[in-house]
Amino acid sequence: MARYLAGRIAGLALILFMVCLFTYLIFFQLSPDPAVMICGKTCTPERIVQIRTILGLDEPFLSQFRDFLVGLFAGRDYGSGANLIHCPAPCLGYSFQTSQSVWEMIVDRLPVSATVAVGAAVLWLLAGIGAGLLSAVKEGTWWDRTLMGLALGGASIPNYVLALSLQYVLVVHLQILPFPSAVAFSDGPVLWFQSYLMPWVVLATGYACLYARLTRANVIDTLAENFMRTARAKGLSPVLTMRRHALRPALTPITTIFGMDFAALLGGALITETVFGLNGVGKMAADSIAKNDQPVIMAVTLLAATFVVVGNVVVDLVYTGLDPRVRIR
Amino acid sequence: MRRSAVIAAGAALSALALTACGGASTPASGTGATGPATTGGTVHYLLSSDYSHLDPVRGWDGGVNNFYRLIYRGLTTFGAGPGKEGTKIVPDLATTTGTATDDNKTWTFTLKDDIFFEDGTPITSEAMKFGVARAWDPEAGIGSPYARLLIDAPKSYKGPYVSGDLDTIETPDPKTIVFHLKKPFADFASALAQPNFVPFPKGTGAANAFDAKPIASGPYKVESYQRGASLKLVRNPHWKAATDTVRAAKPDRFQITFGLDGATIDERMLAGQGADANAIAGAIQAATVARIQAPQFKARTLSTYMGCTTYMSFNTTKKPLGDVRVRQAINHAINKDTVVAGDGGTALATRATSIQPPTIVGRVDYDPYPTDLAKARQLLEEAGLADGFDLTLDVRPVPRQQGMAVAIQEALKPLKVNVKINNIDTSTFYEVIATPAQQHDAALTGWCPDWSSGATFLPPLFDGRNIYDKGNQNLAQINDKAVNERIDEIAEMTDVDAANAAYAELDKQIMELAPIVPLLYEKNVTVIGDNIAGAYLSDAYSGGIDLVSVGLKTPGK
Repeated sequence: MARYLAGRIAGLALILFMVCLFTYLIFFQLSPDPAVMICGKTCTPERIVQIRTILGLDEPFLSQFRDFLVGLFAGRDYGSGANLIHCPAPCLGYSFQTSQSVWEMIVDRLPVSATVAVGAAVLWLLAGIGAGLLSAVKEGTWWDRTLMGLALGGASIPNYVLALSLQYVLVVHLQILPFPSAVAFSDGPVLWFQSYLMPWVVLATGYACLYARLTRANVIDTLAENFMRTARAKGLSPVLTMRRHALRPALTPITTIFGMDFAALLGGALITETVFGLNGVGKMAADSIAKNDQPVIMAVTLLAATFVVVGNVVVDLVYTGLDPRVRIR
Repeated sequence: MRRSAVIAAGAALSALALTACGGASTPASGTGATGPATTGGTVHYLLSSDYSHLDPVRGWDGGVNNFYRLIYRGLTTFGAGPGKEGTKIVPDLATTTGTATDDNKTWTFTLKDDIFFEDGTPITSEAMKFGVARAWDPEAGIGSPYARLLIDAPKSYKGPYVSGDLDTIETPDPKTIVFHLKKPFADFASALAQPNFVPFPKGTGAANAFDAKPIASGPYKVESYQRGASLKLVRNPHWKAATDTVRAAKPDRFQITFGLDGATIDERMLAGQGADANAIAGAIQAATVARIQAPQFKARTLSTYMGCTTYMSFNTTKKPLGDVRVRQAINHAINKDTVVAGDGGTALATRATSIQPPTIVGRVDYDPYPTDLAKARQLLEEAGLADGFDLTLDVRPVPRQQGMAVAIQEALKPLKVNVKINNIDTSTFYEVIATPAQQHDAALTGWCPDWSSGATFLPPLFDGRNIYDKGNQNLAQINDKAVNERIDEIAEMTDVDAANAAYAELDKQIMELAPIVPLLYEKNVTVIGDNIAGAYLSDAYSGGIDLVSVGLKTPGK
């Protein structure tokens, strides 16, 4: 087990290093000169050179990349004299646009993204698996057809259309919810819940529909297995057969997908956060791309990659607990 | 104002907006005030993006400059009022707009009494000098360049944190400050209204401290600031209203919310539920223009020029465009009315004919190239291009830009000029077109002046000695000896009014060379809350609501 874990972690580090390298290469080598953008309207070539020096853009690629990696693990210093700023590890640099520490920007915004992700995940697991199970058990009935019809429809509505339609109906017309904003839990649990409800629903809809169809298919497959017939033949009650024998094998694939989906969401729900004006990591990613703010784009990419890679390892570990066939000795 | 400010201003209207359908008419209420504001209450301000910087030597665009006036004061500032009132230069911390000696090369200012920072320490000439010297800091000084451009300083000077005191600014006593300029500059009082001429206690603000927690000299101070999410201002108890003739500062608090989706802001402003009745916002989306035509929104709609010109710039180094007749022909061929329609209709812009927009002092309205296809054909024939040519036009992939580009494409078809629309992503557009090596035949762009004078409009765009490999703003790359000489002559004029009149003539002189096609003057259209009073749009701040005058009708509501 320890050897397996060590191997996985080494692989994880390698993947993250490659992600770093390629993102750095793409954003720092292939994009136009950010110094020109910062220099602004009344600009001179000398000023551009000065800005490039301050940002460290005049250094060769490899030494820039080395400094970035060193900063990530050991921190680094920016500026000099009274202007000296120490950027402690993990140092992701400073935003070209706002001069703010990128790490602090992420730490500020992560709670919003986590709130969105956790709330949506709870919703889509409940709704998706619930609907899937019901459909499987009532296979072929109008329950099944209605639910699966809804799932197909729900999966085909784009996020932003659903978001704006819900907002128009619930907020503008019926006035039963406030306009969404990143309200802190401490500002009042009710307002907090109301403010996040629409983002949760919007984000959960697509996933719930997908999970419902997956759950249904898996459960139907499992129900047709020989061991299920045996279980029923032994005289086990339908509820017990379902719970003890059908759900576990049927839901293991769902665990895998859920782990990855959830991990990816922690890296920011770009569209939902932007549409609802939630100041999360996804909104930050969208803004940084619009402004070509390379250190921020770099950091968000790295963060999302880390979540996905770590999420994968966690899923594999959980899997070994759920499915004895893949257990590591 | 920075080039990115032009993007910000334009993007506010253009970025996510859909082209408005039909020809929406101009909202009725112009820049007029909405009745007097009463003291007290909280004004809410809904914005889609955060301010670039709270540190005034770093930030520099119409939106943030307007905000700075709430927390900072300078030696001079713009007047508070709609129309021409807003572009007048008035004294702020200084008793007058300055006394010039030595042929406008030395400027002396006396500070008012009873002026304090938010902690109660008096504002001295030493603090003023320290604040101005921060503009030389290589890291911080990314905002307005006018301190560095105008004030004499040793070449090696790198701001107070690195190089210490700036000896060329004199402070003979705590109330007097003397600036020595590099060369005579008659309009120095206007330059001083730029946001980076702001006092700070000596030694403060190193390593971007002011971006998180500024030190206020104006009527409000920052209570809390959450980057990208919210900014709360409360009264600065040490600001004395008697010393300030510009800022009404009626509300007790400002609560600014950032990061809201543009369409959501419009929905909230139109719905005006709850606290949104006390809210103001930026420009509405083009798609919302049709909706505000409903009668109930008339009284809540403000509209004025943003003070910028949107134009198509030719790259005169490219083959047929080096010929002035070809550029003139295209000027004659483009029907500006269809370009305005492509941009979203007359509610959002009016057709442009001169380089300088109507808000510029001394600007003359004239039309050197009225739409005339026959004339255009004749000019092209003379240039030997009766069979037309290909022209690549650089644009941003946003609906309003696309609408204008298509209008231009259609307008040039009869001349057999085949316009190829080349989309460049908004995030890198200005970097690309400011690099002559990457520029194509023409580009759709715009310019906003730093103050309402030709001085910050014509020389930056058409001085042939300012053509750079990178960060180039003379997109046409026009280098005309007569124009360059005229620019120098006007810069030396000691009478500001005469200089502005001369810029109006220079505008005509440049348009004879047709380096650009002026397309439209964009308008700022905004909706205010039901309980908002004292709101008008300021010509000095890209047509944004003047924050120093806005307040509430009934604060308790």
